[in-house]
Amino acid sequence: MTRPSIGRRLIKGVLVFLLLVFTLFPTYWMLVSAFDENPSGGAELVPRKVTLDHFVFVLTDGGFATYLRNSLVVAVVVVVFSGLLGLLASVAVARFRFTLRTQIVMMILVVQMVPLEALVIPLFVQVRDLQLLGTLLGLMIVYTALALPFGIWMLRGFVAAVPVELEEAAYIDGASWWRMFRSVLLPLVAPGLVATSVFAFITAWNEFIFAMTLLGGATENYTVSIGLRQFFGVHSNDWGSVMAASTIITIPVMIFFIIVQRRLSSGIVAGAVKG
Amino acid sequence: MAFMPPAPVAEEHVSSAAGAAVAPGSRRRPIDRLRPWMLLAPALVVLAGLLLWPLIRVVLFSFQDYGLREIVSGEPNFIGVDNFVEILTSPTLWTVVLPNTVGFAILSVAGTVAFGTLVALLLQSLGTFWRTVVASAIMAAWAMPAVTGTYVWVWIFDADRGIFNQLLMQLGLMDQPYNWFTNRWSFYAIVLLNVIHHGFPFVAVTILAGLLGVPKETLEAASLDGAGAWRRFWSITFPQLNQVFAVVIILSTIWDFKVFAQVYLMPGGAGSNREVLNLGVWSYVESFGQNRYGFGSAIAVLLTLLLLAITVVYVRRLLKEDQL
Repeated sequence: MTRPSIGRRLIKGVLVFLLLVFTLFPTYWMLVSAFDENPSGGAELVPRKVTLDHFVFVLTDGGFATYLRNSLVVAVVVVVFSGLLGLLASVAVARFRFTLRTQIVMMILVVQMVPLEALVIPLFVQVRDLQLLGTLLGLMIVYTALALPFGIWMLRGFVAAVPVELEEAAYIDGASWWRMFRSVLLPLVAPGLVATSVFAFITAWNEFIFAMTLLGGATENYTVSIGLRQFFGVHSNDWGSVMAASTIITIPVMIFFIIVQRRLSSGIVAGAVKG
Repeated sequence: MAFMPPAPVAEEHVSSAAGAAVAPGSRRRPIDRLRPWMLLAPALVVLAGLLLWPLIRVVLFSFQDYGLREIVSGEPNFIGVDNFVEILTSPTLWTVVLPNTVGFAILSVAGTVAFGTLVALLLQSLGTFWRTVVASAIMAAWAMPAVTGTYVWVWIFDADRGIFNQLLMQLGLMDQPYNWFTNRWSFYAIVLLNVIHHGFPFVAVTILAGLLGVPKETLEAASLDGAGAWRRFWSITFPQLNQVFAVVIILSTIWDFKVFAQVYLMPGGAGSNREVLNLGVWSYVESFGQNRYGFGSAIAVLLTLLLLAITVVYVRRLLKEDQL
């Protein structure tokens, strides 16, 4: 095509600038407010005096060190279990033809659409009956179930992408099914497993409704997403602390996201479009 | 996770067998029949116990007057369809909740998809360097968790000290700080901004992937024939990306019907301002605020049915395209 004129390039530059401002402003503002000495004192686009006080307060008196540990424990357990169960199930639906297979795939697809608000009431009753209200174990069990359908859905695409011929070659070499699974399939779907793990991690890390409902008043077991709420006062909010804590929560997620975004988005599209 | 070190991959073996995967190909023993079920069993137990059974239960609750007493005793207390009658005859549903849910979903899906598409087109026209820069910035918006993202928007629009009000006052457009959260329209305008900001990256990245697959030759040929950018987009690009758009629109619709934290965490969003309730928040505050778990379940069932109808469209679309 023809070389773009100067006017066009100028328009494009302005558009890119505006897009970057819109996209990055909330993150920027979060960081500025977290580092500013007194963010509630008045709006300035650049912090007047940079301080780490809010971070120190949040991590010590604010109790965020505990919340971070809780969130990390929950997320790691969820990643391990949903990854393991998801991988086994995805191999079954991607590699075997059996009765009810289509129905099960359909169920996995449909179950993802169920709103959390519909699950929170019966699961609250269920967790209460199991006497797990206020515990991290209750959260781990629920989050594993929440992360599982999407995990199966994504891994299914990755498993299906491994050529069947590789498996057959392993059998010809005399490998048993499990040996083939460990030595051929597992290494080849490892990238998919990484992407799925990150998704499960983010699900557990960000989740809010269940943490709020199931943990109730058990402050010592709070996860990061509900730990934030305690910086909100009745009359005034401690915005410096809220933004410092938000920064601590957001940065790991952002790093993860940028690492795996390509796989994640292509996985969603592959799973969704190609079926 | 116990990863095996990558084993040397077996040499590629050209097989004459059909592409359909039946493993292990020739040997069919009972264990091979059972294997998929053994693989599926743990996942199915979890899904059945923690997703399907609760779904059945929420329907059972919705036909009961289920309160604290019933939770403690575990005794059922069926009252027929009274909950549904109460919801469907409630003016709150028709004047507040349904417009807030459906109207908001329509606006946010339209906004997210339109904006995401424009960003994808812009990204496509950029060179490698700027495309990487903008794409990374977009990822940052995507990665912002809903909870912290919502708090940042609340802080930006904070009545007393938020930067938005300060800016308007410094520019002389406003004398007094205005509380944007008390008015239903400005409340949802902020939710809309939040949801579009968080949702457009998925659309942009997905559509960009599709755009890069549209053959350049076709577009150049159309350009030579005198078709402008507008014409080229609607006559060539859009029809080719039909499937991608369908998936993006349906997924966005499902996500935007379910916004919860983005409303609940805003000032007044947790039930104290009844003007801004949507289906999800209404269900939650009736259940856990008023202890009317049966009534809340009935609202949740209606929300689920609404989403199920959309999902059916989604699944049919996929089935038409390909076998599952």
